[in-house]
Amino acid sequence: MQLHAAEKVVIITEKLIVKGVVEIIEAAGAKGYTIIAAGGKGGHTFRATSERAAVVDDFSDVKIEVIVNDKATAETIMNEVTQTYFDDYSGITYIEYIEVLRPSKF
Amino acid sequence: MEFLIDFLTRLVTQFQTPTLGFLIGGMLIAALGSNLKIPNAVYQFIVFMLLMRIGLKGGIEIREADFTAMLVPALFSMLIGVVIVLMGSFILSRLPGINRADSYATAGLFGAVSASTLAAAMVLLEEESIAFEAWVPALYPFMDIPALILAIVLANMHQHKNSEYKDTKIDVWGIVKDSLRGSALSALLLGLALGLLSRPDSVLQSFYDPLFRGLLTVLLLVMGMEAYERLNELRRVAHWYAIYAFIGPILHGLMAFGLGYVAHIMVGFSPGGVILFAVIAASNSDISGPPTLRAGIPKANPSAYIGASTSVGTPVSIAVCIPLFIALAEVVFDI
Repeated sequence: MQLHAAEKVVIITEKLIVKGVVEIIEAAGAKGYTIIAAGGKGGHTFRATSERAAVVDDFSDVKIEVIVNDKATAETIMNEVTQTYFDDYSGITYIEYIEVLRPSKF
Repeated sequence: MEFLIDFLTRLVTQFQTPTLGFLIGGMLIAALGSNLKIPNAVYQFIVFMLLMRIGLKGGIEIREADFTAMLVPALFSMLIGVVIVLMGSFILSRLPGINRADSYATAGLFGAVSASTLAAAMVLLEEESIAFEAWVPALYPFMDIPALILAIVLANMHQHKNSEYKDTKIDVWGIVKDSLRGSALSALLLGLALGLLSRPDSVLQSFYDPLFRGLLTVLLLVMGMEAYERLNELRRVAHWYAIYAFIGPILHGLMAFGLGYVAHIMVGFSPGGVILFAVIAASNSDISGPPTLRAGIPKANPSAYIGASTSVGTPVSIAVCIPLFIALAEVVFDI
């Protein structure tokens, strides 16, 4: 089986700004992304992913994963998101080096 | 003296009503670390049910209502929303440990309206058989939206003045759209439209109306649990927030009561309507306001304004303001 190197950018942030983050991802040229409900502890506060009612649903956290083919695109996304949002909103972003089966998908 | 005794008796009775009992119960079990969970989907459905019922009932009544009678209270609602924000941000920004962005966001949230407080007040008025115009809940957006817009505009103007930030236009229409699309207001407005244009009387009587009180108790349980959780966050910010959150609702409600009285004389606004109007002014947004403000004033610390509103403001407006205004109305209007 032939695997191909690719980059995965991970952004963990507030659900409230997902719309803007997704726009940045698409503008950078990524073909897709995955959004997963997230929770845990960070610089700001502990947030559970619990099924308990959240009075303000928009304040829950999400993990956004984007797989891209080249590192430049990955860095653009990380930079843009950080500059646009992370002064005011809580969030982190990191990159993972992965292998994919079908590079044409990304 | 008689007024004070009446108010205290009312307060004690209020503690035994399902409304307040469930709110305190929620706080209590959260404090005890209970694992009780009300699923998020259920909670969101309850918010929908309550506002749909309020909207339907209001819409049905608006069919026969006199529009000129609604005009004065609607204008007063906008006025109160604006005054609360101006007054609140003026006072808060002068207190130690509170920055301008936080003061605008907090004042905006207290100018905005809480659907759960409104529903609790309606249940109580119905239990006491104090009549009010069913369109009074429709005043909600008239107070809510101007308050949120003003807070966001002021915060952005202030930020522009003192910074090298690049010019960012404030999208007022965007804020209006966001507010109207929020879960609480969408349900309320849809209900109003359905009540006005269709004939939903039978579903209202057989479905929405009977479930209203019971579902409200579940909502208040959730609010109580949230209030306790948020208390921890509030502790980490300036204590002035808690003091503002305690006094604010009472003061705002009394201001509205005065204006409501003026409307009573001018256009015959009912005593029950005046009480409900005062409660709407006293309430602070807990469901739809916070995300709007978080998006509009990103520099403000959500722990401060949401903590102040959810853990102090809402319990005060339900436990203190509602019985206070009912007692006041009994003295003023002799009902």
